[in-house]
Amino acid sequence: MNLDSELYLNLIRGGAASLAQRRQEINDLNVFPIPDGDTGDNMYMTIEAGTHASGNTLGEMADSVSQGMLLGARGNSGVILSRIFAGMGKAFKGLKQADSKQFNAAMKAAVEEAYHAVSQPVEGTILTVLREGVAAAEGSAGMEEFFDLWIAGMDLSLQHTPDLLDVLKKAGVVDSGGAGLLCIAEGMRDALHGDVLSVMPSEASASPAPKVDFSAFTEDSVLEFGYCTEFLLRLQRSKVDLDTFDESVIHDWLETRGDSLVFFRDGSIVKVHVHTMDPGAVLTKCREWGEFLTIKVENMTLQHHENHMDERFKRTGKALGIVTVASGKGLTATFQEMGADAVIEGGQTMNPSVERFLEAFDNVGAETILVFPNNSNIILTARQAADIYDKSKIVVIPTHTLGEGYYAMANLQTDLPLEEITQTLEEAAKAVTTGSVSKAIRDTAEARTGEFIGFSGKDVLCCCPERPAAVQSLAQKLSAQNSDIIILLQGADAPADEASQLQNDLQNTYKNTEVILIDGGQPVYDYILVLC
Amino acid sequence: MLKIYTDTDTDINPALAAEYGYTLISMPYSVDAKTTYPYVDFETFDGHAFYDMLRGGVLPTTSAISKEQYINYFQEDFKSGNDILYVHFSRAMTNTFDVMDQAIAELKTQYPATRFEEIDTKGITTISYAIVREVGDLVKAGKTLDEVLEWAKTEVDKFAMYFFADDLKFFRRSGRVSGLAATMGTLIGVRPLIHMSQAGKMESIGTVKGRPNAMKALVDKVAELGDEIGKHRICIGHTDAPEIAQEVGRMIEDRFGKQNIEYVYVNPTAGSHCGPNGVGVCFHAIHR
Repeated sequence: MNLDSELYLNLIRGGAASLAQRRQEINDLNVFPIPDGDTGDNMYMTIEAGTHASGNTLGEMADSVSQGMLLGARGNSGVILSRIFAGMGKAFKGLKQADSKQFNAAMKAAVEEAYHAVSQPVEGTILTVLREGVAAAEGSAGMEEFFDLWIAGMDLSLQHTPDLLDVLKKAGVVDSGGAGLLCIAEGMRDALHGDVLSVMPSEASASPAPKVDFSAFTEDSVLEFGYCTEFLLRLQRSKVDLDTFDESVIHDWLETRGDSLVFFRDGSIVKVHVHTMDPGAVLTKCREWGEFLTIKVENMTLQHHENHMDERFKRTGKALGIVTVASGKGLTATFQEMGADAVIEGGQTMNPSVERFLEAFDNVGAETILVFPNNSNIILTARQAADIYDKSKIVVIPTHTLGEGYYAMANLQTDLPLEEITQTLEEAAKAVTTGSVSKAIRDTAEARTGEFIGFSGKDVLCCCPERPAAVQSLAQKLSAQNSDIIILLQGADAPADEASQLQNDLQNTYKNTEVILIDGGQPVYDYILVLC
Repeated sequence: MLKIYTDTDTDINPALAAEYGYTLISMPYSVDAKTTYPYVDFETFDGHAFYDMLRGGVLPTTSAISKEQYINYFQEDFKSGNDILYVHFSRAMTNTFDVMDQAIAELKTQYPATRFEEIDTKGITTISYAIVREVGDLVKAGKTLDEVLEWAKTEVDKFAMYFFADDLKFFRRSGRVSGLAATMGTLIGVRPLIHMSQAGKMESIGTVKGRPNAMKALVDKVAELGDEIGKHRICIGHTDAPEIAQEVGRMIEDRFGKQNIEYVYVNPTAGSHCGPNGVGVCFHAIHR
């Protein structure tokens, strides 16, 4: 059996459908007993973004899948997943279809590409599972055999991930990214056998609906950005001749009515994304060719507002711009006050996609843009966005926590040469210790459900039944007496009077340190301690 | 007869001005288009209420007084033929004295015999306060105008002032501190250490992490540059941070023994540029 364009897309869809069914299981493979970067959701949203691809040849299809995933990639595992398919895309370039040998070669290319995606590959992760799986399938006679051996190899490798990574062993789980990949591979194998799960949840159900602030567009607002208009149009036999219809007619007409056009046809379905001032005209016109399956129209002023853009910074030609990632009103406001031109909503439980970064870069429009991802699981996404963006020079400062991002930004001196700025910021970020306190959502060896755990990086440092005691204990474990400033970021679930009392108590304990309380309003972490 | 003048930007209040015989020129600030002249529109300065207003987000503006207002202040003494000495805040920080120059030029054509002299304290608020008081002391002790001017030639540059503020937005907006332009926004917890330069301008000389370190940095500056500090007042100015100011005072006395320390509430016009929770130390130094 040869792999052609249609089969390839089916494999992707099969993989996505399989992951959709089991993504909660993957989400639950958390190292920490707190709501964490949801690997299952991230990987699903990434692969789902590849399922809308189109292309006549295998090469075109694989490229389209790769492009889709590139833009949809979320979280580290999502970015790596997108690189796996990018590697295959590169290997299939120019091919109408691929035989078993070419498929084998493409999988090897996928491994290489995935390893290249991370600067310091860690074994015991999705990378190991992929590599060992592909190695196990090497030399297989056909695609069916390849998938059987690949899956068996990955399964075996996955079981060994706790031997390679201590954090997994401690938490008693296998690597979630590897598990997600195995799940995708199983779905692909089912698709290869013609057995595709028909139900694939929409993106909307995968992520909570964003809160839209309608006050951003008032009775007196002027429509500046138009409407983001997306729809799936089913071409109708009663309106067009499906066999001979050239969809470029629709494409060309849409180009006269808007911009940011994304357009492709898959069988009788046409997918359209366009920014237009007059969605009514677009919809009316498109009904000349078919009927709508779905329609989504959003006022882009609200979308822009949601992106926390500060209108003051919308001017172009600014020399240096700043894009940062944060969740919580207080933190967003703090970062804006510090000079961030765009604050992308995101964090531990909601990793923004590459596309979100690209939008933010576009909106900031500065010659050079410094990016502070503020989460280990977002750094790769930011770097991927930086790699594909060519309108500005993008420099990602690899800040792993909100605290690192905060303190690095506080040290920004814009009049230095860029290399010096980057060096200063990276050094500043490294000088920070961040600790967090969260409520345990399941029992572990260290904590019972409902208790408050204090941790820094991947180390659980303390556990207390009371929240303030957990913060005090965490501060002690992190040797807060050696820092000059303690910034206490109060989370959404921490009451104001408790936070204020805690600030006083910490100030009394650490007299030679300045304790600063900021109402961060961040989710998940009741308190974040930033020691600098 | 020598008549001495100073302005409210030097933190001198009417009681102290009267004690020395200073005529006090009121330098205004505005909030929401309402202009207030210190000690004209109010009798006593409620520093806490004023800086609380700033904490609440109000950003006052300051403005220069008019030529006519200067003429009104000086006319009587010009007419009487008195010698006039105006000890004022830094020329390098304002254009108000360009307006004054026009007023003086006009008065001089009318009263050519009157002598008008100035001492530029090359600073504002606490550092000016210290110099205005020293000049006042000299005049009180019977020094002549020329003797006082001679003293000022060397001594003004020997008053050093180092301070920090909590919130950079006030400085940033006023644009009166050099070296700050390159940093971004409000740096919570990271404070610039600012000093009054020889040129009479505010200059950031670096940042300090955490308030305890910032306070220590002020005391370190006294140790580094202090000159005959026991013979002069040490003035600690603050923008509604009396406890921090007093703690700095205690730290100075712990290190250098008992001192003649005065605590000064920074006047609202200068305070509009610094914002609340700032503390600074003025002391006699080998240089600024």
